[in-house]
Amino acid sequence: MCGIAGVVFKDKRIHKVGDSLTKMLDALQHRGPDSAGFAIYGGLGLANDEYFLNIEVKEKPGLLEKVKDTVNLVTQIKSEEIIPSVENYIIYRCIINLESFSELKPLIMDIDRIENVTVLNGSHYFEMIKDVGTVKEIAERYGTKSKLGTHGIGHTRFSTESIVDRYHAHPFQSYIIPDITLVHNGQITNYWKIRDPLERKGHIFETTNDTECIVHYIADKLSENYTLQEALEKSVKDMDGPFSYVVGTPNGVGIAKDQLGLRPGVMAEDDRVFAIASEEVALREVLDTKDVEHISPGEVRVYEI
Amino acid sequence: MREIKIDANFKTPRQINSELKKAAKEYKRIIIKNPNAMHYIAAGLTEPVDVIIDGSAGYFVGTMIHEARIHVKGNAGWFPADNMTAGEVIIDGSAGDGVGQGIYGGTVAIKKDAGSRTGEIMKNGTIIIGGSSGFMTGLYMMGGHIIILGNIGDDAGESIIRGVIYVLGNVKSLGKNAKLKEVNENDINELKKVLISYGFQLDDNKYFEFKKIVPLSKRPFYGQESEEG
Repeated sequence: MCGIAGVVFKDKRIHKVGDSLTKMLDALQHRGPDSAGFAIYGGLGLANDEYFLNIEVKEKPGLLEKVKDTVNLVTQIKSEEIIPSVENYIIYRCIINLESFSELKPLIMDIDRIENVTVLNGSHYFEMIKDVGTVKEIAERYGTKSKLGTHGIGHTRFSTESIVDRYHAHPFQSYIIPDITLVHNGQITNYWKIRDPLERKGHIFETTNDTECIVHYIADKLSENYTLQEALEKSVKDMDGPFSYVVGTPNGVGIAKDQLGLRPGVMAEDDRVFAIASEEVALREVLDTKDVEHISPGEVRVYEI
Repeated sequence: MREIKIDANFKTPRQINSELKKAAKEYKRIIIKNPNAMHYIAAGLTEPVDVIIDGSAGYFVGTMIHEARIHVKGNAGWFPADNMTAGEVIIDGSAGDGVGQGIYGGTVAIKKDAGSRTGEIMKNGTIIIGGSSGFMTGLYMMGGHIIILGNIGDDAGESIIRGVIYVLGNVKSLGKNAKLKEVNENDINELKKVLISYGFQLDDNKYFEFKKIVPLSKRPFYGQESEEG
C-alpha cells in the first residue's frame, strides 16, 4: 500500500508545487512509512545545455572529491550544494553542462561505479527529491515546501518486495527520453515479460524493482512517438497485476489503473488545478473536493499544459 | 433530541470511534466535524443513533454497523457500509469501489456515482446508486437489491447467485450467470417505495424504463438446477 499523487497548475505559471505535494503526501502518510519522494517540474530554470545531478555519497574521507573528479573529467561543475541526510550519507547536488542529453546516462554510470556512491537522478527540467523517512522529515531535510514549479508527482512508500533505501524510493526515472518520472502503487506480476523486450532493445535496468520497469516501458513508448495517453492506455493492456501509477513529464502528468481496479486512484479539478491521488484526503489539500472522480478499472487520465 | 458534536481534527480513527461509541449511549444525534476523508469512521457502531459526518469520509465508513444511521455530507472512499447488518449509510456525494460489500441488511444510498464491484457478495439489504456504478456490480451477489439510476459497467451481475440488480440506464455488458429481464408491477411498486423514501425523485413513466439483472441459475458452478434452494 503506497500513496501516489500528482498536481498540475493549469495556468502554466510557477507555483509552490513542493508545498502542494508535501501536503498531499503528508495526508497519504498512513499508506507508506518507509520513504517518500517528489519530482517537481518547471522550476529548475536551467539553460538548454545545463543538467542537474543528485548523488548520494557515503560520508567517508576523500569520497566526495572522487565524485567531483569523475564529473570534472567530463564537464565542469557550475554550482553545487551538499545536503546532510541520514545513515552517514550526504546528498551532493550539482549543475553541469553537457552538449546533449545522450551524455547524461554514461556520466551517471561512471559515477555509479564509485563504491558507496549512487546517482539518485540526473535531469534538465525537474528536481527530484527522494529519501528514507516520513514526508515531513524529508520535506524539512530538503526544504521541499519552498520548491517551485508548474506541476509534479510524489510518492510515499510501503515497501512490499524490494529494499528500502534512497534509490528505491519513488519516483523512478528512465533515461530513454529526458525527464520522465513515475510513482507506483502496486505490483507488476508479469515483470519479466515486460522487462525482457526492453532489455533486448538495449535499455538499461539498474534494479529489479517493478516501478523501474514501468517507467522504462512508458519512456520507450514515448520515444516511439506514442502520446502519453496512448502509452498509458497500451501499458494498462500489457501490464498484469494490481497497480495504479502516475507519470510525470515536462508537459504534465498522467495516471493509469489496472483493469481489475485493485489499486485506488481519484481525481478532481477546478479552473486552477488538476490533481490525482490515491485518496481524496490528498486532493483536499489542493482544491475543493465536492466532485471527486474515481478512476475506473483500466482507465487512463492525462493532463498536459 | 440530545445532540453532540465531535471534532475529528488531529484525532486518529481509533480516538474518534472510541468517542463515538461512548456518545452513542447517551445521545441520539452525533455530528462529526472536520472528518477530512478519514478512514474507518463509525466502524462497528451498534447503537440506533444518527451520525452526521460533516464532510467526506475515507475507506470503510460505517463498516459492520448494526442499526446506526450514518449520513455522510461529502464523498466516501472504498467499501462504505461493508458488512453492515442493519441501519443506513447515506452519502451525498460519490463513493469508491465496493459500496455495500457483503452487507447482510440495511440500506446504503449513494447520491452520485459509485466505483466498481458495488454490492459484491452482499447477502441481503438494499443499495441505491443515484448515478452510475462501475464494473462487476453485484459480483457474487447472494441476495438483496441493488438499484442503479445511471448506467452500469462491464460484467454486471458477474456470478450472481441470488438477488436483483435494477438498472435505469444502460447495461454495458452482463457477467457470467446474469440475465436481463423486464420489470413487473411488483418491481415498480417496490422501486417507487424505496426510492421515494430516500429522496430520489423520478417521473412515473421513468419506472417503466427500469430493467433487472437476475441469475440464470442458482447453481451455476456445480450441482443440479433441481437442487436450487
